[in-house]
Amino acid sequence: MKKMLVLLLSLVLICGSFGAALAAEKINFYANITAIEPIIDDFNSSHTPGAIYTRISTSKYLATVLTEFSAGKLRADVLQSPLPIMQILKEKGVLAPYKSAAAAGYPTWAQEDDSIIQFGIEYVAPIYNKDLVKPEDVPTRYEDLTDPKWYNKMVMPDPASHATTISWLVGMKEAKIFGDDAGWMKFLKGLAANKPMFVKSFGPTPAPIESGEKVLGISMPKYIISKAPAPLAWAKVDTLLGTPRGIAVAANASDPKAAQEFVDYWLSKNAMQLLASQVGEYVLAPGVFPPIDGISTVKVLPIRSLSDDEIRSWGKEFRKIFYEK
Amino acid sequence: MFKKPTLTTTLIVIVGFLTLCPVIMLLLGSFSADFVSFGQFTTIKYVEAYTDPDFAAILWNTVLFTGGSALVATLLALFLAYVNTRTDLPFKFIFKVIAIVPMMIPHILFSVSWVLLLNPSNGTLNRLLMDLFGLKEALFDIYTLPGMILVEGLLDLPIAYLIIAPAMSAFDVSLEESSKVCGASNLRTLMKVTLPVLRPAILASAILVIVRSLASFAVPSVIGMPGRIYVLSTHIYRNIATGFAADFGKAAAIGMSALAASITLIYVYRYLTSESGKFVTISSRGFKPTMIKLKKGKYPLFIVVGFLSFILILLPVMVLFYTSMLPYSMVPSAKAFAMMSWDNWTEVLSDPISLLSLKNSLFLGVVGATIGTTLSIFVSYVIVKVRSTASGILESLSFLSFSFPGIVIGVGFMWFFVRTPIYGTITALLIGYIATYLPYGIRPISSAFVQIHSHLEESSRVCGATPFYTMRRIVIPLLIPGIVSGWILMASMFLRELTLSVVLSRPGTEVLAVQILNFAEDGLWGPLSALGIIMIFISSILVIIAAVLGKKLSKMEVMN
Repeated sequence: MKKMLVLLLSLVLICGSFGAALAAEKINFYANITAIEPIIDDFNSSHTPGAIYTRISTSKYLATVLTEFSAGKLRADVLQSPLPIMQILKEKGVLAPYKSAAAAGYPTWAQEDDSIIQFGIEYVAPIYNKDLVKPEDVPTRYEDLTDPKWYNKMVMPDPASHATTISWLVGMKEAKIFGDDAGWMKFLKGLAANKPMFVKSFGPTPAPIESGEKVLGISMPKYIISKAPAPLAWAKVDTLLGTPRGIAVAANASDPKAAQEFVDYWLSKNAMQLLASQVGEYVLAPGVFPPIDGISTVKVLPIRSLSDDEIRSWGKEFRKIFYEK
Repeated sequence: MFKKPTLTTTLIVIVGFLTLCPVIMLLLGSFSADFVSFGQFTTIKYVEAYTDPDFAAILWNTVLFTGGSALVATLLALFLAYVNTRTDLPFKFIFKVIAIVPMMIPHILFSVSWVLLLNPSNGTLNRLLMDLFGLKEALFDIYTLPGMILVEGLLDLPIAYLIIAPAMSAFDVSLEESSKVCGASNLRTLMKVTLPVLRPAILASAILVIVRSLASFAVPSVIGMPGRIYVLSTHIYRNIATGFAADFGKAAAIGMSALAASITLIYVYRYLTSESGKFVTISSRGFKPTMIKLKKGKYPLFIVVGFLSFILILLPVMVLFYTSMLPYSMVPSAKAFAMMSWDNWTEVLSDPISLLSLKNSLFLGVVGATIGTTLSIFVSYVIVKVRSTASGILESLSFLSFSFPGIVIGVGFMWFFVRTPIYGTITALLIGYIATYLPYGIRPISSAFVQIHSHLEESSRVCGATPFYTMRRIVIPLLIPGIVSGWILMASMFLRELTLSVVLSRPGTEVLAVQILNFAEDGLWGPLSALGIIMIFISSILVIIAAVLGKKLSKMEVMN
């Protein structure tokens, strides 16, 4: 019996060496942004020793980074996530101060912080199936989403729990998209009356639109690029809103200079061009836009970072409106 | 057979270490005011979690969902196990494989397949039925509680089947013969003799399915959330997702109710099967399972089983294959068929990360299941044959990590492993997998153990055999159907494991399910389906190898 148990334990320990090798000298890049392999490949083709991309979903981002950080085992040299998460990381001392010269042409508000540089906006828009929605029916204003003709035909992330969607809805109020609060509330109630199908985040929103299960949704224009040739298009409303995306060097980066070099590359026009053209992201590098019809002329505004208490409080309000039977 | 107190203590130490560490970290986290496991003490997370006005309704939904899933899975498994092991149904081998196919499919993909088939707007089956019968509205709506129960029940069918089938195949024919001699019909014998004797296996399967569906996230998120039906796991997710600083401590506080429910169920199970002598069917008298001749009912039953298998299991797999050939999600149409290509397959098979994931998952599946099954044999022996308070503790310990909703337990392991040198290595994944899914090995092996009378071991010992010799030559050969079931359950689970992997996997230790999740989050259903089918193919090969090897080993031991 004992021999058997010793054998079992030995087998487990032997396995320890399998796959454990991690190229420690490479720059470790923790990010929640997806599909960025072309940028990492481009960086690796011109920089030695290169970078490794670790993808961490938004819901686990803070837990992972703070757990590693508090145990003294944070592997990340460079971190990227939505701005509210980056701000919490800064408060906890995870980020190092760094102002990149590569962000020189970016909007002033994007480079005000001494650690976090904002490089893009997670922009949200009404997305529709262009095979199934007639051109004359395509919404041109947000208010059009409340038209009863869209009853049971829409999809959106759950407005009672999805942090980015809650922030987006509050952002519309603060940006006075509907003039006053009464107009905003009328929009919310009209949208709720159309009984949109709720999914957990933006990720699952395009699939029901492209398959025709729903024809319209609150989603992200980047899917027009990343899901091509799916028949997706965005409804050309005059203002788009979204949560800013930030990047920063980790306070305990193993090679701070190399990490800064990676951030400089990331913010360069070349990398931002790749991010816009291959991933469909809205970036803040001057003159760089995703190849989506109308995006270069639309007004895209960053929304205020809501605290978690605000998000929870608004989530409860939206639950009352959207879950009303 | 062994020095029982020493064996029990050793196993309590090993299993306790594996399963308690992450749970303790979660417990600490649930009382920590910070986002990590160690912070200022607070009870606010429990107060908030259990005073939520929606909690009662969510608990009720959870009871219906888990109970319904257990009912569907266990009834279907009983039916399939009975016809596959006890009747002369033609082409049984095919149905044996079909019954465990859902085990090999990533749950998120299986759920999406059912959405494509039965969504009320343009679900393929709904449209077909509307065209056939001239209906104005869809007949089925998958976004309902019955829809969730159906899909979860099917996904958990292999668990139930792999526990019930070995017990059914080890059934002593003399019990049924006695019933028939007394004039009972086949049906009466089934109801009054066969099913009562199979009670441990039936209860074990129902409990395992309840615990598994309690932790399930794919079906509640893909089917439940669009239907606005929340159960415990999606309620936890809603709590985590509302805000950027996901508080897994609060999630753990909610998860404690799942843990309490699971431990209660284990004690109920032990109580209901406490008179173990009742369920022994293999004693020193020898046994041979008999086949019931279906006679005229043979082909009608074949058609029924075939139709059920096609609709419930094969059709969703066909939907997967169809999706893997398309550039984006499309309902079947001339345009869709014209756009079909192998592009997604080429993309997946030439992607270095996907190939590395394949290699890592295969390693974890084979090595992990082998270690896990070996450990399960010893644990099952203690649980079934020792039946002391300590063995009850061991049984509860084996369920600890398994009982927690997946999205929470992964963080518990991360909080634990980050304090060890194995953090970020494949060993961390291996240990996490074994610790969490130990019940997959223990349940089928325990069910098989229950049926073996201790006279067999005693006879061997009287003849001078050592405990190991007795285990190797007497017990293990009789346990082989249970061992094979346990290995298959573990290997296919490890191949598609997601909840732990998504937190613990790092560059170099990527696994298939995480790669699948990445495709899902990017909405790339084509490559996702292609990778899913590759996963099913690999699992099928492993299952066939295990089944053939199991059969050979059984025969060899009988010949020896």
